[in-house]
Amino acid sequence: MQDLMAILPLVATGAGAILLMLAAAFESFRKEGISIMGIGLFAFAFFVQLAVANSGSFAPYSGVLNGMLATSTFTKVAGLIILACGFFSAIAAQAYFTQNKGFVLEFYCLMLFAACGMLLLTMAAELITLFIALEIMSLAIYALVGYDRKSVRRSEAVLKYLMLGAFAGAFYIMGTVFIYAGAKSTSFRVITDVIATTGFLSNPPLVGGAFLILFAFLFKAAAFPFHAWVVDVYDGAPLPVTGFMATAVKTAVFAVLANFLMISSDLQAAWVDYLFYIAVFTMFAGNLIAIAQNNLKRMLAASGIVHSGYLIIALVAIQAKTFTGGAMLFYLAAYALATLGIFAALSYLAGEEERRVSFDDFKGLARVRPYSAACISIFLLSMAGIPPTAGFMGKFYIIASAFQAGHVSLAILGIVSSILSMWYYLRLIVLMYFREPEDRFEVAEMTLAPLGTIILAICVFAISFYPVVL
Amino acid sequence: MIEHYLFLSVILFCLGILGVISRRNVFIVFMAIELMLNAANLGFVALARLHVSMDGHVLAMLVMAVAAAEAALALAVVILLHKHKGKLDTNIFSLLRG
Repeated sequence: MQDLMAILPLVATGAGAILLMLAAAFESFRKEGISIMGIGLFAFAFFVQLAVANSGSFAPYSGVLNGMLATSTFTKVAGLIILACGFFSAIAAQAYFTQNKGFVLEFYCLMLFAACGMLLLTMAAELITLFIALEIMSLAIYALVGYDRKSVRRSEAVLKYLMLGAFAGAFYIMGTVFIYAGAKSTSFRVITDVIATTGFLSNPPLVGGAFLILFAFLFKAAAFPFHAWVVDVYDGAPLPVTGFMATAVKTAVFAVLANFLMISSDLQAAWVDYLFYIAVFTMFAGNLIAIAQNNLKRMLAASGIVHSGYLIIALVAIQAKTFTGGAMLFYLAAYALATLGIFAALSYLAGEEERRVSFDDFKGLARVRPYSAACISIFLLSMAGIPPTAGFMGKFYIIASAFQAGHVSLAILGIVSSILSMWYYLRLIVLMYFREPEDRFEVAEMTLAPLGTIILAICVFAISFYPVVL
Repeated sequence: MIEHYLFLSVILFCLGILGVISRRNVFIVFMAIELMLNAANLGFVALARLHVSMDGHVLAMLVMAVAAAEAALALAVVILLHKHKGKLDTNIFSLLRG
């Protein structure tokens, strides 16, 4: 019964997706009905997850379904963030499809399936369960990226993503083979015991396996040597899908990465030095790419790489004994709010066929649409880490946790990178406020997306008051 | 004896990596990825024999199912690209390079 409780959000999203697919077959449910149903299902799943998270009847890291899954406060909060991302992305999608063609009724089903995979991913405590969850998520996301079959750009983006994603998936599965060779099991609990008795570095198959698995995860998280695909794929995907990928996928991947590193402190200690350099290079490579961009979507993709770098700082700083993941989750939530907000605003401001996407297209937005410009400015300031926004608190917690773990140089480099990143965030704000408008920014009438944007802007301030235990 | 199967599995995996890196045809690249997944399957089955447990067999079956789903999506993408460009060379897809 407790097991069922723990997987209830999974059931809600999975069953919701199937329900939506059945509904899409009926003539009477058309575009609007399906959109509202999709948004509603995400809201429903969110509240189910909230209820499960608040019930608190089971111990932290308790095994579910014979140790296949494990739940903890960390996984529950990660699930909440993922479902909230899904909710706001669905709102953005609704606005996007009032102005763009290429809507298919299965769009929201795919989003729900992806969310289902992500929830499973955060809870997975066994390597093959994890692989299946990863693939449920990835396959749905591939289809979302390329679902507009008429567009050559989308097709190219999905080709690139699918090829590299499947390549990384193959590395993951080979890593599982190595770990199975070293530990005779793929369950996290057994691997922990094996490492405790034989040691990590004295067991070569485990080292090789962990290397291959980290390779695959770092690819999915867009960390330094494997970051190049992100900019192209995010640029090629439709706006709401880009927002969903940038936030929900990142949350799921970092949650699972933290869970994997938490298998054993020996395992984490063996990779900390490498993760240190990966964090530094990811931040600075992302900044360099972002500064060079003229397209807003590409800039946001590149800034996503920078934020991955900060999250890797959090990974370096976590300690297996006292792991709560508070700093990481707070940062993920803050980043998700700001990014989703920008994508929700863009989804109605971009106009038909994503007309306005470059920096120059948003010149003088503040004169014509002051509220939208103010919201976008709030999101950009939060991403840049200006107090009193959530982004500032997120960076504060991450850098404080790096100090606590004794990585002073990493903390300082994080601050330097954060200052560098102001350049491209403030550039857009300057363009919006201090230039004359050339465009009238006419968009179709809609209510949900602007409302969602304002709610997100309020949340950016609201969650910064939430106390986090490091 | 079992070790030989494991070596074969690693060799097949490396051949798959080589295929992905060096080949330019989308089909061949996807075949190379399948080769990598099947190399892992061979490893699972061989290890199941070595550890005298059924786990490896089950894992191999699950990986096969996922690989089939991935192949289905990959083929759909190949058809999509062929419709747009009439060719399957990865070099001609350069709209998003940057």
